[in-house]
Amino acid sequence: MKARLWPWLLHPRLTLAARIALGLVFIAAALPKIGDPPGFAKAIWAYQLVPGPTLNPMALVLPWLELLCGLGLALGIWVRAAATWAAMLLLAFGLALAINLARHHPVDCGCFGATAHRTDAERLTDMRWSLLRDAGLLLLAAQIFLAAAPRKN
Amino acid sequence: MARFRSTLLRVLALAGMALVAALIANSLASPARRLAWVRSSLPPATAAPRVEKIQPPLPGSGLPIVPESKVGHPIHPGHLPSSRPAPSPAPAAAPAAETSPSSPILDISAEEAWRAFQSGTPFLDARRGSEFAEGHIAGAWSTPVWESDLDDRLLSFKAARRPGSEDPIVIYCSGGDCRDSHLLAEKLLGEGYFHLLIFHDGYPAWVAQGRPIGKGRP
Repeated sequence: MKARLWPWLLHPRLTLAARIALGLVFIAAALPKIGDPPGFAKAIWAYQLVPGPTLNPMALVLPWLELLCGLGLALGIWVRAAATWAAMLLLAFGLALAINLARHHPVDCGCFGATAHRTDAERLTDMRWSLLRDAGLLLLAAQIFLAAAPRKN
Repeated sequence: MARFRSTLLRVLALAGMALVAALIANSLASPARRLAWVRSSLPPATAAPRVEKIQPPLPGSGLPIVPESKVGHPIHPGHLPSSRPAPSPAPAAAPAAETSPSSPILDISAEEAWRAFQSGTPFLDARRGSEFAEGHIAGAWSTPVWESDLDDRLLSFKAARRPGSEDPIVIYCSGGDCRDSHLLAEKLLGEGYFHLLIFHDGYPAWVAQGRPIGKGRP
């Protein structure tokens, strides 16, 4: 069963679709943040995980990293490196959301730039959905990475 | 192995390219969109005062929240800094003494803010410059706490109004759980101002009461 499923899961067309989907999500997430670094710094600060001195450099560099990864994935350039960064970023974002969910601290995701004011209950719900979305995107990154990995046999 | 190494090099190269792009973009950005690489003014992120602020309005709306926050910490002690539950009660207790006249940062109600407005107390708007442009308390100064030209704006405010260290200054943002006015208050406290009034309900409450507003950039 596993032997039959594996080629399908690593099918090149699936990889192509995953690359383009993940790449577009990263580009869409990066652009509003590149346009408004102070807003992104505020969003990161709200998570209360990042020490003060690293806050601003992070808010400035992360969106560009997302954009480069998104472009690499969507255009098929440096795919493995881009997928590696994408997976690491998704893991970090998911962890940040999970930690704040665990301590009942509602935050605005900030994933796609600033959002309108919401209540704490709405925020907590959104955080759960964002976490789920993160997991799904992480699966895409894993597919891309595994499909691009050298075969052992 | 060689492939692994080339991937690693590209991973590092991506980070380097992002850094260069960020350096260039940030130096070209307008002051409202620029971010200082090193921030000196931001106090450490403390969740504690926030907890204290959120709780008072809640008892009316729902009891479950109060037990939740009480129970929440003991249930997840392992997750994060175990220091987390500890600082919560301490600062929460300090601002709770809002009645004490010695506290340099006080929360004020919409009514008190209106009286301060009528007596000519300066108002500082801690929200983003774009929000200020959409509408602000009439005569308020735009001092967006997250934007890179905050210090310049505070300087021009001080030059124009020459507030003494004991003169009242009202600070507001967008109400609710908005923390920007507290950040600004802590910054001003560090600069030696000891009569900072935080209009807690902020701009939405001001609009709801039909008080005078202004629009446009300062």
